[in-house]
Amino acid sequence: MTQSPTLNRRSASSTPPLPRKSRQRGADARAGYTFLLPWLLGFIALTVGPMISSLYLSFTNYNLFDPPKWIGLDNYTTLFQDERFLQSVGVTVSYVVFGTPMKLAAALAIAMLLNSKRKGQGFYRSAFYAPSLIGASVSIAIVWKAMFGDSGPVDQGLSFFGINLGGWVGNPSMTMPMMILLTVWQFGAPMVIFLAGLKQIPADLYEAASMDGAGPVRKFFNITWPMLSPVIFFNLLMETIHAFQIFASAYIISNGEGGPAGSTLFYTLYLYLRGFSDFRMGYASAMAWLLVIVVGIITLIFFRTSKSWVHYSGDSK
Amino acid sequence: MINRRNFLTTVALGTASAAVLAACGQSAPAQTGSASNPVTINYTWWGNDDRAERTRKAIALFESKNPDIKVKGNFSDFAGYWQKRATEAAGGGLPDVMQWDLSYLRDYGQRNQLLDLGTVKINTDAFEKSLLPSGQIKGKTYGIPTSTNAFAVYYDPAKVASLGIAEPDGNWTYAEFNKFLTEVGAKGNGALFGSTDYTGVWWMFNIWLRQNNIEAFTGDGKLGFTKDDMKKWWNLTKDLRGTPAIVSEERTTQLAPKSPFGSNVTATEVTWDNFMAGYLADSGAKELKLVPVPSDDPDNLGLFLKPSMLMVASAKTKYKDAAARFIDFMVNDPEVGQIFKTSRGVPASKTQRDGTTFEGTDKLVVDYEKSIEKYLKDAPEPPIVGFGTLETSFKRISSDLNFGKVTVDGAADAWFKEAEDLIKQNS
Amino acid sequence: MTTMATPTQPKPVKQAAEAPAPVYNPKSESAGAKRAKSVIFHIVALALTAVVLYPALWMIASSFKPNAEIGGSNTSLWSSNFSFDNFVTAMEGIGGVSTLQFFTNSLVLAVGAVVGTILSASVSAYAFARIKFPGRSIFFGMMIATLLLPFHVVIIPQYIVFQQLGLVDTYVPLLIGKFLAADAFFVFLMVQFMRNLPAELDEAARIDGAGHVRIFTSIMLPLMKPALISTSIFSFIWSWNDFLGPLLYLNSPEKYPLPLALRLFVDQTQSSDYGAMIAMSVMALLPVLVFFLVFQRYIVEGVSTQGLKG
Repeated sequence: MTQSPTLNRRSASSTPPLPRKSRQRGADARAGYTFLLPWLLGFIALTVGPMISSLYLSFTNYNLFDPPKWIGLDNYTTLFQDERFLQSVGVTVSYVVFGTPMKLAAALAIAMLLNSKRKGQGFYRSAFYAPSLIGASVSIAIVWKAMFGDSGPVDQGLSFFGINLGGWVGNPSMTMPMMILLTVWQFGAPMVIFLAGLKQIPADLYEAASMDGAGPVRKFFNITWPMLSPVIFFNLLMETIHAFQIFASAYIISNGEGGPAGSTLFYTLYLYLRGFSDFRMGYASAMAWLLVIVVGIITLIFFRTSKSWVHYSGDSK
Repeated sequence: MINRRNFLTTVALGTASAAVLAACGQSAPAQTGSASNPVTINYTWWGNDDRAERTRKAIALFESKNPDIKVKGNFSDFAGYWQKRATEAAGGGLPDVMQWDLSYLRDYGQRNQLLDLGTVKINTDAFEKSLLPSGQIKGKTYGIPTSTNAFAVYYDPAKVASLGIAEPDGNWTYAEFNKFLTEVGAKGNGALFGSTDYTGVWWMFNIWLRQNNIEAFTGDGKLGFTKDDMKKWWNLTKDLRGTPAIVSEERTTQLAPKSPFGSNVTATEVTWDNFMAGYLADSGAKELKLVPVPSDDPDNLGLFLKPSMLMVASAKTKYKDAAARFIDFMVNDPEVGQIFKTSRGVPASKTQRDGTTFEGTDKLVVDYEKSIEKYLKDAPEPPIVGFGTLETSFKRISSDLNFGKVTVDGAADAWFKEAEDLIKQNS
Repeated sequence: MTTMATPTQPKPVKQAAEAPAPVYNPKSESAGAKRAKSVIFHIVALALTAVVLYPALWMIASSFKPNAEIGGSNTSLWSSNFSFDNFVTAMEGIGGVSTLQFFTNSLVLAVGAVVGTILSASVSAYAFARIKFPGRSIFFGMMIATLLLPFHVVIIPQYIVFQQLGLVDTYVPLLIGKFLAADAFFVFLMVQFMRNLPAELDEAARIDGAGHVRIFTSIMLPLMKPALISTSIFSFIWSWNDFLGPLLYLNSPEKYPLPLALRLFVDQTQSSDYGAMIAMSVMALLPVLVFFLVFQRYIVEGVSTQGLKG
């Protein structure tokens, strides 16, 4: 069922070319580019062009007023001496490293709980998914801030159990847990994808394992994990990349400043502040390119290491 | 105005942009309007809902008196305001007339983004001659002050009395002020704190420098004070941080965007006198009072009248006359004074000031500025390019200080590094 | 970056598109044990539902409470002082711009986004999925790469260009990308969908002499309805929730969509009217919630089969 473009091309070229076919091919090429035009235009004008420009700008000092001034690698070298930049890296990395696995663990655990033929499964699935739809909105950021504020429901709930943390919003060591809870709360989207993946695992595998006397833990590691690994990989990759780019909720929760004490100064927020608040567009462009490079490297590492733990159906084991 | 960056980016957009550009092309509009065919000028300001309301009233009044001009108003919050102006200026699209802040005058004036208002007809006869230079750079007038404000210590007499503490008379040294804050904090019993950390306010630092006869910035755009001055300043409240004399930064963050003083969490606050109306609305207090800032030199309070805001026009406006008439109206018209009262500060133009009746809280602000008249020095020159950024980092670093994230020495180092970097960038 | 574009990546998603296989259901358990398990399952699931939906419930409940009770001593969701006052205040809008105007703006942007995305993504996807032309796989790989590209790298130059063209403070910068298939996710989704349609369909049409335009409009489009519906729903919701785009490009409050208006509201009402702020947040989410309730099946199916994010 997998039709990759490569396969199609191979089968097409295996037939000897006929004059009529080659005319057809020319027509196809024209039609192909015509249909592709909207995307191609957008790709060149909105992605490739701007990427080249921002690469150029990243080597300049550019404040929007005066023409860009070429300064070579200065922006990049300054970055690593900029304490705020290093702080933003720290904030973002801890968000990605703690938030993403927690979110995916919750998603997987709950997907496994829901993966049964019980009544109400559809309802739970929808209910758990809902936060993913609204989680990135300004409204939710506002509500989150109110909920975790002084004498908000979270503070009161914890006080009931004798834990007096006060409001989380103003406490530099509690804002990160708060942001992580906000992303974990949106476990619904990866959960639904996990659930679809779990349904693909043939039931007889589990039955056979049961007969061999395998317990739930062994079944999980011997069947569920390897069979689900492509889906886990997909979710991990997408969630990690998304986590690097968090912006709106951090902006709203910290009043656009990344406080308290820089504890919510996410990478993209600092990039925005540097570019659009301090007007250091060259510096911000350097930050953007560094992000592209880092995300690229992480993607590469993911794909490289995936060979050892991701099993696609049809692979020989 | 094709330069390298324009070229690069324009090429990048290619044909798509050309098509859009053609579709959006407009014929050049007429320079002057008539009642049947009025010109439209854009006016933008920052401020809250209340100011938006008052400004709309003023615009309606202006339009009824000048049927040949329509004014289209826009507004945003203070931080977002400057992001927008910078990006507009980059594309040559600043609004025709703008409310402006002293902190950003040099950024835009020096970069030829603002109209030299000396070239158009605006009546400045009713202004104090000592005030006008703060709208001028190198002899050119870029901004006309709408109004003035002065620094003051606010306090809530009812709260102070309820703690059994005598009301301050504003005749105090820093040690005495600190003692007052400590007393409020001690008697406040966790419910009421002295104040926010006043050393976190740039303009208070500026006043302290003036009290010590130091200028904040030199004429050639360098820093006029040393790292040691800054350490001395931040050390003033060293023993107060972390005590109830100063409300914790955690609490302040929680309360934002409302201020601790407006939320009835502190008994005093050091800031501009035109914040009165906002504080009264926020706190619901019956009465708030204003006294002068502390000084260790009783003859030199370092106080000055600052233009609380200025009116400026874009250098590229097509409607210089209309813009000038609108500015003139906003700063001089007595009816405009009646609309704004002291919410923009005390009207700078005598015509406007005399035509405005000040009652209640507005009278308090006017009276305060009268009471400090004998201490007033010249208004400061427009600060250096990029000052807005420095003011923001000053506040941020001082907040880190209160969170205990940095020491005073580290804070001064951090700020100086940013300041020197910025000055280098803009030189 | 070409590595990102290997065709292995869509695979897991495609597997998920298959019909559900039988679920593991051991026959050896007794009816009683089954029943007990079922009860435990529902208890756990319901408890989770309560936790997950609590923020939304709290938000809706708070919007009907008087200001003083929000975050006050009244911890119960329900208040005896139930009132619509907060909504009345919120409807007044900000600085002379009514909330209805913000709603209209959001709606215009969202509908524009849907129309643009449907038109451009379906046409581009047809080229990727059904036409053979040189460079196709390279372009496809590049498109997949843009899925992973942090968009911050393009916002600054994009901004400068739109600024030069005098298009800031218009909806053009916010919509042009939708008409140029810049949301690669939707193109990808439609490509995946079309590839699963039998190839015999267009072969038969070709023999009848139909060109690509006819195959696309009269064969593909009608068959693509499920993908078009998912795309419409998601592009609507994404546009409705978008914050950074309007934050960068719009200056005039009367052009603001709801998320931006909400922020303005938070900043402007210095006397912090919490109740009205939350009421406005509720209103801003209302269309999304209604959409969710109505299209719930499509949305969740769309996510599970196409790997869409919320």
